Amino acid sequence: MTKDIMLDIRGQICPACLLITLREIANNKFSLKRGQSRLVVKTDHRDATRTIPGAAVSMGYETRTEKTDGYYEITIEYRK
Amino acid sequence: MKSPAATRTKKPRAGKSLAGLEKEKKKLNEYIRDKVNQLLTVMGTKALDEHELDESDFLQLDPIGIIALSFEQVLEHLKETNKSLGVAKNQLQAVFDTAGVCISIVDSDMRIVNCNEKQKELLVSDRDEIIGHHCYEVYCGKESPSLDCPAIETLATGRPVLVREVKKKSRHFQIVTSALKDKAGNITGVIEVSMDVTEKKKAEEAMRQAEKLSAIGLLAAGVAHELNNPLGNILGYALLALKDPALQADQREKLEIIVEQAKKGSEIVKGLLNFSRQSQPLFEEISIEDVIRKALKNLSSRLLAQSVEVTLDIGDMPRVMADPKQMEIVLMNLLINSMQALEGRPDGLIKIAAGKKDGFLEVSIKDNGPGIPKELLPDIFDPFCTTKPVGQGVGLGLSICSGIIKKHNGSISAGSAEGAVFAFAIPLERKN
Repeated sequence: MTKDIMLDIRGQICPACLLITLREIANNKFSLKRGQSRLVVKTDHRDATRTIPGAAVSMGYETRTEKTDGYYEITIEYRK
Repeated sequence: MKSPAATRTKKPRAGKSLAGLEKEKKKLNEYIRDKVNQLLTVMGTKALDEHELDESDFLQLDPIGIIALSFEQVLEHLKETNKSLGVAKNQLQAVFDTAGVCISIVDSDMRIVNCNEKQKELLVSDRDEIIGHHCYEVYCGKESPSLDCPAIETLATGRPVLVREVKKKSRHFQIVTSALKDKAGNITGVIEVSMDVTEKKKAEEAMRQAEKLSAIGLLAAGVAHELNNPLGNILGYALLALKDPALQADQREKLEIIVEQAKKGSEIVKGLLNFSRQSQPLFEEISIEDVIRKALKNLSSRLLAQSVEVTLDIGDMPRVMADPKQMEIVLMNLLINSMQALEGRPDGLIKIAAGKKDGFLEVSIKDNGPGIPKELLPDIFDPFCTTKPVGQGVGLGLSICSGIIKKHNGSISAGSAEGAVFAFAIPLERKN
């Protein structure tokens, strides 16, 4: 069963958004890489929907961005 | 900005003022922020704003530490991607090389970028260096591309081009060219796929030939049947008339001409019937030497009359499965052919050789006659192909021989070198 790690960075703007997300990815690297968890980032900063997926993809993760009520939800997970 | 190393060259002296230390700390912070911004740009985001994170937040976040860990993952991912790409490249190369079709990639200047093993095998047997050379030079042996070159058309239009048949290096190919494009849609080269259709073409030709022979066979049978009865009547009545004792000399002479010509006509009809009635061979174990000797015995009186010398060179041969009657027809036809070519020559010589070769029993008959005209060689086994004067044969003998040998799963060939050479080969072991 995959666990969702929630990261709410609403109110933060880039590049802090990216740095915080990258730190969260690094902290959960093993459970993410084993497919045990996925990271769900909530952000209201539009730029982050470009920078976060870009950086995550370059590290081998897959991302999905959905716009919900007033913010974006970026799901980051590892798929072999 | 100067590196902190440069700043560090001056060691802070003991008792340095607090203001000086604050200044150095600020410089160090600026240096770290600058380097972090460089790394962030590499990670794909914009630089830190001076006011975005204050000094304490900035140091607490540990951006360099975060980016270092992220870079570690980027490198891991790149290594895995490289490994997967290497495997995929090898697999693709294997598919590329084992494909049953010739594949070649050329750039927009028509220089070969890559080609597979099949392409090299069929189209580049005579050179080692291929990559970087012009395709028209390597594959077509030309100094410039021909006007109807499909690659030129694809390079110009970007559309795929199919060429139904092209002859290159004695083989027939069907070619398809398609354009290679970059992300912007610009044509960067052409992929050329050539399928070798030589065998298919040969099979189609054989089928056409078989249909032609079948049609000729039907016609020959019909004509022979219709001519046989009137010829029989002419011959019969002429022979009857010759028995009349009251015949005058000139009348007898004319009747004898009628008999002779009717007999020639009958021989031709017999040949037509033999041609049309080519039946399936009845296989039995035979000695080809016995068949050769029997054919020579049948022709001995004619050979003697023509003063033709015959030499036999027969090696140690196993018995083979073949139809003895059909083999005799083949040998008789080939020998008669040689004898006709030697007519009027005082030193006529026919050399017969037989032996084993590559799983086949091969028999060759060579004479020292005038040989076969070069232009006739490709059609020599076609029905009604003859150089003989009218009345001396209709050109069916070799066609009959060819049909018989093919039904024995063998091959027959004709050549000309100081006389004519005919050779046929049949398998030593018959496959069901």
